[in-house]
Amino acid sequence: MQRFRSLTAVAVVCALALASIAAPASAALVTTERMLGASAPTDARAQVDGFLAREDVRRQLEAWGVPPAQAEARIAALSPAELQRLAAEIERVPAGGGLLEVFGVVFVVLLILELVGVINVFSRI
Amino acid sequence: MTRRVVAALAVVALLAACAAGPQTQRLQREHAAVELAGVPFFPQEAYQCGPAALATVLAAAGVDVSPAALVDEVYVPARRGSLQAEMLAAVRRRGHLPVLLDAQIDAALRELHAGRPVLVLQNLGAGPLPVWHYAVLIGFDPQTQRFILRSGRERRLMLPARRFLETWDRGGRWMLVVADVDTPPASAGVDGWLRAAAPLESLGQTALAERAYEAAVQRWPDAALAWAALGNARAAAGALRPALDAYRRALALEDPPLLRNNYAWTLAAAGCRDAAIAQLQTGLQQADGGERAVLERTLQEIESARPDGAQCPM
Repeated sequence: MQRFRSLTAVAVVCALALASIAAPASAALVTTERMLGASAPTDARAQVDGFLAREDVRRQLEAWGVPPAQAEARIAALSPAELQRLAAEIERVPAGGGLLEVFGVVFVVLLILELVGVINVFSRI
Repeated sequence: MTRRVVAALAVVALLAACAAGPQTQRLQREHAAVELAGVPFFPQEAYQCGPAALATVLAAAGVDVSPAALVDEVYVPARRGSLQAEMLAAVRRRGHLPVLLDAQIDAALRELHAGRPVLVLQNLGAGPLPVWHYAVLIGFDPQTQRFILRSGRERRLMLPARRFLETWDRGGRWMLVVADVDTPPASAGVDGWLRAAAPLESLGQTALAERAYEAAVQRWPDAALAWAALGNARAAAGALRPALDAYRRALALEDPPLLRNNYAWTLAAAGCRDAAIAQLQTGLQQADGGERAVLERTLQEIESARPDGAQCPM
């Protein structure tokens, strides 16, 4: 994983370097997202980060059972700043799904927590 | 067994309902009853409360979409749920803005009184056992101190205020309303509105972003950032002179270096090379490290470009 990332980073840096020889890096408008304080790719370093964030999120979505073609389209709907935020904490972000069935040990633990008033899963979803 | 559990739960629920904290007492005092009975209901399938809740707020905003159609956009099979970022993206895809509300329950109540249902993220579990759940807040009854939600398979879930507030608090107080690009929601602040619209720029939907920024300068004419955003969208669309007008309005209110960078870039694009260089030099005097790099690069490019003989319109 780490190795793949560094290889990818090298590849991207090379591609960008070549691109910048062909056409000098174009200074651009600073986006509104960046003005609002979000980190959005503007320089070459940030473009590499942006590319990796995109790959990380795509791979994670696929690992979670999203079909590859669909994952591509879903990534395309997220802005660079959103992708970076998501990549940084994708293992921890909440995925709202509700709770219709709970089994086994988890059920018992939740029930105890419920009875002592810590949570309220069973008050209906 | 089942009866004893139900009895135990009933006791817990009762105790919770009786113990009205200062927060719920204040809600009772300050807020009139409200219920958006016309908000449609899509009962949740399996773990798909994300698509169901999203379809509910979209339908209330006049977007005709079924939860089934949203599954391929927001449902993550192995997580048995939906990510917040993808919920926002699904709203944008339909030409609407997903506006996140301030983390105060008063903001949600203002939206309800303005006729807008509020999508909320709840954490029904706790600590190491979170149970994330999306539901749609449609009303509040101050008499019984209950929030009214479209939730899961319940068309009209009446949740005691304290219980709702706890689960909402544990869910990070995340609240979303769907707005059309021309109408900022009642409780929205200028930053929240701009944050909702700004991703459209990088996703190539500049025309929609521009409309949202037009609405922003109407509602918040004294916000420099709203004018700057409008300038950005216009400049990106190649409308240079209208962009310069917007930037000048922004600069009259505030003077951040990155704004000067964009003003200069647009001046140069319009053929005003000398004026652009002067702007960058002014901006560089106040720029910090990261900003300095941006401005210096723009300056370098403008200085090295051949004067192309274009007429500076200024």
